[in-house]
Parts: sequence; structure tokens; C-alpha cells
Amino acid sequence: MSAKFASIAAMLLALTASTALAQTKDTLTIDLPNDAATLDPHLQWNTDSYSIYRNIFDNLLTRDVKGEIVPQIAKSWKYLDDKTIEFQIRDDVTFQDGSKLTAEDVAFSINRIIDPKLKSPQLSQFDQIAKAEAVSPTLVKMTTKSPYPALLAQLVKLSIVPKAYVEKVGDQEFNLKPLGSGPYKMANWQKGVQTELEAYGSYWRAKPPFQKVVFRTVPDVSTRIADLKTGKADLVRDVPPDQAESIKNDSNSQVLSVPTERIGYLFINAQGGVTKDVRVRQAIAYAIDRQALVEALLEGYGKPVEVLGAEPVFGYTDKIKGYEYNLDKAKELVKAAGAEGATVEFLTSPAYSRATVEAIQQMVNEAGLKVEISSSDQATFLKRRQGDPANAGGLAFGAWSCACQDVDGVIFPLFRTGSIWAKYSNEKFDAAVDKARVILDQKERLKLYEQAYQVLKDDVPGMGLYQAYALYGAAKKLKWQPTANEAMFVMDMSWQQ
Amino acid sequence: MLRYAVERLIQAIIAIFGVLTIVFVVMHLSGDPTLLLVPQDASAEMIAQLRSQLGFDRPIWVQYLEYLGGLAHFDFGISVVQRVPAFDIVISRVPYTAMLAAGALVVAIGMGIPAGIIMATRRGGWLERLLTAIVVTGQSVPTFLSGIVLIFFFGVTLRWLPTSGSGDFASLIMPSIALGAISMSTFARMTRISIIDELGKDYVRAGRARGLSLGSVVFRHVLRNAAIPVITIAALEIGNLLAGAVIVETVFAWPGIGQLAIQSIQSRDFLVVQVIVLLISFVYVLTSVIADFVYALVDPRIRLVR
Repeated sequence: MSAKFASIAAMLLALTASTALAQTKDTLTIDLPNDAATLDPHLQWNTDSYSIYRNIFDNLLTRDVKGEIVPQIAKSWKYLDDKTIEFQIRDDVTFQDGSKLTAEDVAFSINRIIDPKLKSPQLSQFDQIAKAEAVSPTLVKMTTKSPYPALLAQLVKLSIVPKAYVEKVGDQEFNLKPLGSGPYKMANWQKGVQTELEAYGSYWRAKPPFQKVVFRTVPDVSTRIADLKTGKADLVRDVPPDQAESIKNDSNSQVLSVPTERIGYLFINAQGGVTKDVRVRQAIAYAIDRQALVEALLEGYGKPVEVLGAEPVFGYTDKIKGYEYNLDKAKELVKAAGAEGATVEFLTSPAYSRATVEAIQQMVNEAGLKVEISSSDQATFLKRRQGDPANAGGLAFGAWSCACQDVDGVIFPLFRTGSIWAKYSNEKFDAAVDKARVILDQKERLKLYEQAYQVLKDDVPGMGLYQAYALYGAAKKLKWQPTANEAMFVMDMSWQQ
Repeated sequence: MLRYAVERLIQAIIAIFGVLTIVFVVMHLSGDPTLLLVPQDASAEMIAQLRSQLGFDRPIWVQYLEYLGGLAHFDFGISVVQRVPAFDIVISRVPYTAMLAAGALVVAIGMGIPAGIIMATRRGGWLERLLTAIVVTGQSVPTFLSGIVLIFFFGVTLRWLPTSGSGDFASLIMPSIALGAISMSTFARMTRISIIDELGKDYVRAGRARGLSLGSVVFRHVLRNAAIPVITIAALEIGNLLAGAVIVETVFAWPGIGQLAIQSIQSRDFLVVQVIVLLISFVYVLTSVIADFVYALVDPRIRLVR
């Protein structure tokens, strides 16, 4: 009797032990600095909206962990001519209401975002598209206004929305109750508090790793880190490098980081103030110690760059070297330009690291110039920085990413004559980037970008400082490899007991 | 009394209208949200196109008149950032701020008034000095600092209270203390001064001469008379609490209108900011009117004067 009892007890014990082992985490909690502004994927472009809605929607194309453009809703694609491209659409995808996703939905999504009536702030990324039409239930034909090599890179950001549902409920309702074909469906959105998503059981790719995902709005970084340490959050976004150490010291937490396509760069006005003189701009470039910036301010979470572009970006080159740190040369150039003691206005806003701005100020001061920092709110900063060259300041620090991993989205808007950011004009540069914009041959394009980078080096209307890393605080048990494009796909995460 | 009420009402409407106009002009002159909405690689033409679609390229007076026209129909407009009605966005946040303000007021009154009474009646003693030190500290430490200290002590180290959020009663405790601390000091000081004032009056001396203890004089007579200035402060403190809530809500991830105001100003979400401004001016006016009525209840002589 007692032996029987013992064996039953052993069996029970083994059973509970095995269920304990197999027990998985049900809810994943993520702290974001802001609430999503909208969950309509065709409206907003801010990182927090993006972090949430990309789990609700699938995109036409996506990028794999290595950064390569790979199929998602489109199975394959081919160019019919320079301006026409045909997408084969998967036929096993359903929206979260059970309805089938077809080529009609894909064409509708493309035409919706380029329709001026939607007033989409993302329109600028898709404005090269003329139209899209469904040729058959699984075939979409898209035409562009001109040959457009960055098209696929931009389409990585195009979410597919259900035509019937959007037409039925209208844009405003769709924003509040989004419906997609992604791994997670909307469960509850308490504005300003949190967004709850639930796993979509019939997701076409695989079973989502967590039954529920909660995105909480926690604006203050110290509070986000406190949440992580107490287990209230499993993953927190936007950790500054100087806080990484405190996360590492916590036995239940870890820092996840990844080099991104985001570049810390210095703008140098070539059309206004004392920096109009190329010798002054070169002097500034010589005066900046990029290595020191990375070591002192980024705690190693960053990498000095030679050009304004980083490895994950197409068009990046290691053939052009930047200016080495050389204070003597810098001083000589300032003297030669007769600019000793001249005032240079450094525009900035609270969106940019004050420590970095002050470090650069110090470095440039040492070359013999007098840098004065003017800080304003972001809207005022943008208004001045993007406005008249005479009023755009001599220097400005920025962190640039087009989230398209193509250098067309980096140096074209920053330096092309007539662009709002450019306080610079050079025919040779314009010719190179203009041409690279409309040819599809990648080798040819790379050559043109090398030419463009050489012109930028000679003229220094700006310079790359470092490649920024994305930093996340995470629970030790969370397994996730963050990617260069700063996307947050819960589908790629898992929990290890 | 009726004429007084009507006059107050007209003054209030003019004040709210003035505040609204100033905020409208200042926000529009400092730039529109278009630049903050578009991706940074957008071209000038695209930005101009979106600006015109959103209507920000029209003269400011046209936008202002249109806004007023909307208000006349109780239409507060659609937020350009969130693309839903601005009024709904703000209203959904009001209960949180109301809860926080109430919590802070409980902390402030519950601790400030007893502290003030003790400070007034135990002058020169060690207890008064200790309370004075606490009151001065409460008033001089900035809220964001006390907030973070509270989070790390009670949340991270002791694990007694949740570090952030708004899910349950426990999450309300720390933000209420952080926000209530400054008002608590104000209540303590006002109560103290007010009681000391009353203690010097004839009726107190007479009462004491009749053999009443200090405690019974204070509780039976002094407190009632000393209450009037304290009620005024309470009404004004509601406004201060709303201002302080901006920081406390950000630190504790408390989803009230203070946090919303910060986000909306940063993203130039004009219509949301305008609704918040309207609401806060309305609360200011309402609380001061209520304070007037409470005076009248506490001290019937005020009713006779008006």
C-alpha cells in the first residue's frame, strides 16, 4: 500500500515538475517612452506608434535579421520594365477577422497611402509611386513615376490593411480599432496608459510566442528602469548609455544593444556665417575627436564613422576616410581664414544630447572659434534649421536615420541643393546623387555615392561622427536580437525559463 | 448675491477667452506640427503639401475664426497628431488627474493642517522645530527629485509600492505624496499663521481667563475662525496641483492631463492643448467660485456683506 502511495506521489511530483518546466510566460510587458499617436499604420511615423502597430500588421516586404530585404506578404517580385514592378501575393494569409488577404487589399493599401486625402505624413516616402492595381487575386502591378532604386527599401515600411474593413468603419474608427494580418490583434487601447495585444491564433507564419503583449506608456527613463528592475516591465526602450551600467548591475536584467543605421552627425553651415569659409569648416572637422566622443559620452555604445553613413546602409563606403583629429591643423586653418575668435552659433533642442553638444562646443572652441549654444524647443529648432541659411546657425548636432537603409535617404535630403536641410550647393554632388536616384544597377549606384562622399569630404557641409547603437533594457530571460532598423517584432522574441 | 454671481461669471468668461487667445497665438507663431509629423528625409514640396492639407498655411486669423466658429458648436476639432477628436482625448485623461489631485489634497490637508496646529500651539518646542524642518524640506525639494527618490526607495529597494502605472490604489500613493508635499507645506504654514493670529484675540484671552484649556479653546473656537484663509488656500492650491501634476504625472507614468499637456505641446498638437487650457481655466474659475460659497457657509457674516 505504502509502495503504491509512494509511486503515485512520485508520479504526481514528476507531473508538477514537468508542467513547471513547460510553463511559458503568458504576458510580455514592454515600456515605451510614449503612447502610440495612432495605430493606423498609414498615418504615423513616430517610433512608439511603429513599435506597436508593426505587430498588428504585416508588410509587403520586410528585412531579416541581417538586414536583407525579404518577402512577407509579397511572395516574390519582378520588374517588367524600369518603372513597372509586379508582386506575387501569398494566398494563405488571413486578417484577424478571418477574412482572406488578397491582391485587392495590397493595391488598396498602396493607393490609400499615396492619396492626398488621407493627409499621410508618410506620403513623402511613397510619392514616387504612381499607382497600384490588382491584376488577379494574387498579383499586384505597381508603377512608379520614374525608375526608383530605393522603392523596395521604402516598401519594407508599407503595412497591408484590409480594404473591406477600412471602407466599412472609416479612417477614424480604423485608427482606434486597427485590424491587420499580423501575429497580434488589438485587444484594448487605454490611451496614454497602455495598449494590449492578443496573439492571433491563425497567424500564417507561426504561433506567436506570448499570448498577450502589453505596451505601457512610461515617459521618464528612470521610471522605466525601475519598472524593469522590479519586474513590472520585461523590456524597456530608449535607454541612454550612461544608464546601461545600472541595468547590467541588476542580476535579473540585461542590456540588449545593436549598431543601427542611425548616424550622429554634425551639420556645418556652408552658406551662412563664418562657416561659409571652407577653411573654417575643415578646421572644425579636424578639431573633432570622434573616438573621444564615443568613449566618453556613449560608454562604448557607438562606433566612430568616416563618412555620413553606416554599414547597414546601402551606398556606405569605406574607401573615403574622414578627417583625423589634429588640433594644430585646425588652429592653422582658423588663422588662415582670419576667423580667430569668431562666433559660431550652435543650434540645438532638448531632443539632442546636451552632453554631446557641449563636448563638441569645447572641441571647436579649442581650434580658436567661439561657439555659442542656442537651445530651443524642437519645433522652433526645426523651423530655424530647415529655414533660411543666414538664420540656420553655424553648427547643429543630429541623429539621422531614414529607416530605409539606403544612402539616398541620408545624404540626398541633407545636402542636395534646394533640400530643406541643405545649407550647401555643389553641382558635382547634385549630379552624382540625382543620377544614383534613378538607376537600378547597384554597382553603378555605389560608384556614384563614392563620388558624392568625396565631394562632401572636400567641402565639409557636415560630417559623420558615430554610428549610434539602439539600447534596450530587458529581463534576463528574454531572448531577442534587436535589429539595425530599430523595429520591435514580438514575433522574434522568446522567453527562457 | 445674484448680481455678484453674474459679474463673477462675466469676468470668468473674459478671462478664459483671453487665455485661450494668447495660447492660440503663441503656439501658432512658434511653428506648426507639420515638421514634427513628417519623416526627416521628407522634401520641401512634401512638407508644403501636407501643411496645406492640414490647413496650417492659412493666415492665423482665419484659423482663429474657424476655431471660434467650431467652439460655438461645441466642436473642438480633430487632433492632427492622433486623428481623433481633441475633446475625447482630453476627457479620457481627466479622471486620472482628478484622482491624483484628490489624493494629493488628502495628503496635503491630512498632514498640513495638523502640523500647522501643532506648530502654532507648541511654539518654541522641539516638535515645532522638527515640523518646521519637514515643512521647509517639503516645499524646497523639486517634485521630479522627490518622485525619483520615492520610486527608488519604496519601489525598487523595499518593493512595497508599484514603480509606475495607474492600475490600482497602491499606484496612487507615491504620486499623491510627491504632489501633495508642496501643498502640505503651504497648508501647514497658513494654518500656523492663522491660528497664531486668532490666539492673540480677545475672545481667546477671555476664554482662557474663564479657565478653559488651550486645547478646548483651539478646537471649539479658534479653528473655525482660522479656517477662512485656509479655505482660500485650498482653492488656490487646486490650480497649483494641476501645474505640479505635469511633472509628477511624467515621473510616475500617470496618464493624466499634465502628461498629455507636455506631449501635446511638444508635438504642437494645438487643438488638444487648447482643450486642456480651456479645461484648466474652467477649473480655476470654478474652484474660486466654490471657495466663495464655502466662506459664506463657514462665516455667515460674509453673506450679509454681499
